[in-house]
Amino acid sequence: MTAGRETTDDLGARLAVAAASCRSRLAGVPRWEVFAKTSLTRQTELVDGRLRRSLEIDENGVAVRLFDGARAGFAAVSGLEPAAAHGAVEAAAAGAAPGPDPMPPARLLGATPVAPGPAMAPAGWAQHVAGELGIALATMSEGVLRLGRVIAQEGRYRWLLATAEGWSAEHERMAASLLLEVMVGDRPGVWREWVHVADPQALDLAALAARIGDRVLLTRHRIATDGGLHDLILHPEMTAQLLAAIAPLFVATPDARDPLPRLLGSDGLLAAYALTVVDDRADPTAPVVSPCDGEGLPSRRTLLLDEGAPRHRVASFADARRLDETPRGGAVRRSYRDRPATGLANLRVVTDDGRPPGELLGASDRALYLLRPLAPVSCDLVSGAYSLIASGVWIEGRRVLGWHPVVELTGKIGSLLRRIEAVGTDLAWFQTSQCFVGAPSLLVRRQSVIG
Amino acid sequence: MTPATSERPPFETRWLDELAEGCRGLRGHHPRFEDLYLERRLELRVAAGAELASVQIDGGASRWRFADRWAMHAAAGVSSAAVAGLVSRYADRLDPPPVPAAPPAALAPPAGWIDWAHGLAGRPAFRGAVLRCFVRQAVVVRRDGWRGISTPALVRIEPTGGAPALLAVWGQPLLGDWLRRFSEPAPARTWTPPAGQQRPVVLTEGTAGVLLHELVGHLVEGDLIADGRSPLAGLGGAALTDAVIDLVDDPRRRDLPGAFDCDDEGVPARPMPLLRSGRLCGLLCDRETAEVCGAEAGRGRRSDWRQPPRPRLSNLVVPAGPHPARDLEAGVDRGLVVTRLGGATVDPGSGRAVLRVERGFELQHGRRRRPLGPFELTGSVTEILAGIDPRVGDDPTPDWRLGWCVKDGTPLPTGSEAPTLVVRRLEVL
Repeated sequence: MTAGRETTDDLGARLAVAAASCRSRLAGVPRWEVFAKTSLTRQTELVDGRLRRSLEIDENGVAVRLFDGARAGFAAVSGLEPAAAHGAVEAAAAGAAPGPDPMPPARLLGATPVAPGPAMAPAGWAQHVAGELGIALATMSEGVLRLGRVIAQEGRYRWLLATAEGWSAEHERMAASLLLEVMVGDRPGVWREWVHVADPQALDLAALAARIGDRVLLTRHRIATDGGLHDLILHPEMTAQLLAAIAPLFVATPDARDPLPRLLGSDGLLAAYALTVVDDRADPTAPVVSPCDGEGLPSRRTLLLDEGAPRHRVASFADARRLDETPRGGAVRRSYRDRPATGLANLRVVTDDGRPPGELLGASDRALYLLRPLAPVSCDLVSGAYSLIASGVWIEGRRVLGWHPVVELTGKIGSLLRRIEAVGTDLAWFQTSQCFVGAPSLLVRRQSVIG
Repeated sequence: MTPATSERPPFETRWLDELAEGCRGLRGHHPRFEDLYLERRLELRVAAGAELASVQIDGGASRWRFADRWAMHAAAGVSSAAVAGLVSRYADRLDPPPVPAAPPAALAPPAGWIDWAHGLAGRPAFRGAVLRCFVRQAVVVRRDGWRGISTPALVRIEPTGGAPALLAVWGQPLLGDWLRRFSEPAPARTWTPPAGQQRPVVLTEGTAGVLLHELVGHLVEGDLIADGRSPLAGLGGAALTDAVIDLVDDPRRRDLPGAFDCDDEGVPARPMPLLRSGRLCGLLCDRETAEVCGAEAGRGRRSDWRQPPRPRLSNLVVPAGPHPARDLEAGVDRGLVVTRLGGATVDPGSGRAVLRVERGFELQHGRRRRPLGPFELTGSVTEILAGIDPRVGDDPTPDWRLGWCVKDGTPLPTGSEAPTLVVRRLEVL
């Protein structure tokens, strides 16, 4: 039997069996936590609209954290059968090492009500998307853009978290994304886009085609390079990579190793007033939605940067205790295989006071519009030096002057962040090496550009 | 330390024989049964002041081939029921032989690893670092039989701050030396060359292997060639470089992280020449792209049981040349020598490569001067290859930094070993 054919009740029952199997083996252990998860992922790959490959992955497993009064242990084993559960308990006990209890006390545990997720996409959704999106892209670009490979990933998962004190939480949700490869005229190579799909049934393919096409077509202009001090406009993907590079600043760190104080301006600000950043785990439109964090603290929106000023940092319960922070539910557990650890889930720029992206593009006499990163943005948080390599276009007002295929920006990250004048309203979600990032366009005044 | 490998198959050979016999008789209506992959993985994690975390993952996948497409079904577990579910997707019901009553023995870490890791984690130089050990056993069942897949146990050390990790085969004799260099602090005072300059660059201490991994290794992978996405597509037989370089992808090098004795589609490991005297002479293909490209299969690799095999590199090796490495450096008047790379990427869209230099020196009149701070070098793939000096150093050196290769979000261990090479001109970004 697979998760795809099982009912919600069936899945819940299998998770409950795994948890019960662990519980029976953990009798006498004063503190423990069991996390059991099952998921079904369907991946469909189409090339030029034709189905080339389909994958169906049925995964489940169980993880155990325990504390016997003096030693703590963690282990995870694939499978939900009693043998898997027993294996996880035994391995956690065998690997236990002296140390403090890493788990939060029962009084901190709870669940935030979250909006129910959308339903799984109907059969044939990937083919429908590839067909319609291909037509929309070709039409809007007058045949210049051709949709090549499409990889549609859709899945459903359910998990259960239970503790020795009898507390438990369960959650079930759908997730979907698209990876699109677009061919640009007769140019070799492909343009890649990753798209988070909050609700497959509500995906606006014409709007998606316009969003992709508008950006890709900018690279068709003649090459024009320039340098010196110029205004910058960062496309949301560039903003996302920039935020990923500074994401470690939003994670609780021991004072001795904390680079944040050295990056603050004399007014105590890390960034300009325009930038407010949160980690929001209860936002129903974000990629990671859950009633609680990875170890059972209620999900919340944590204010990280408030009009440029650092406010709170995320931490798991154990890190929060070690670093004297208030536990705010900052643990992530990406899979049953991972121990809950401090981390960001949905890092998001607040765009309540944002300006339409068209307005940002017209807000400068001459600006470099950075379209996409050519390498991860690197930032040495100790020295504050950053390097951003991207391709972009030079614009004058809203007129495009030319494409700058490879441009590098270097400098101090603090001065870049403190020159952000405005954020856009065009927030989109991106997958980064650190976490999911919800990012809009940014307008940054007067930065040094190496031509 | 003794080299540890997963030499034995994860299941009893008699059970595998019976399973293969059953698969031989599979009758599908439309698709053809391609293969059944079963895998067991153990990952251990140690950090200072933390418990030993253990993750045991078992799973399998069956693949089916239609006239114009492939299908794969993967599921956790390797029980008889799980295996039966996988192989019966499109075929008449197969009742695989029951898994022997005694479950397969739990995977064990290589002897001595746990004590070694705890000892290392306790050293001040490795404070905050995470040490991991990876052990894998796998088997591929096809209609014509089954093959066990043997790969070396790997150790990975991840420093704090997201810097590249150290990746090595457990038992690699050079591991102690690499650990010493891994923990050395960066020079306090460094110099960064001005952006826009074009300089000759000496790639030494194994960094030339990283360059060739990106510029040749990835770009001759069968999927990129078959789709025309590689700038090297259609260049078979062409001289890519003046250098008299022989470049081989060799999975039989058990001292390098990309080693295997049989790929994840059951093809026995063989070295694959990619460049012969600088001419492109081979491709890296799985079974599917081998048919399209008319090339040899043998590089179908899976990052784990949840992923289908894809054409991937194993260990890129350049044999020693006749030129003393010190002479290559000495022959550069004003240039750079790179001793450590922090990363390298090729943008298939523009065909440009970016090398992230971590450590090195300025060269003046052939002598090392100021130590280099982090910066990037760039150039187009074909221009960089064409600009490699014909002389090849006599010092083949394995890389220990960038073996954890990620392609389309899927990581795999790979290795490289190369002598010192000189690129006549690279642009400082």
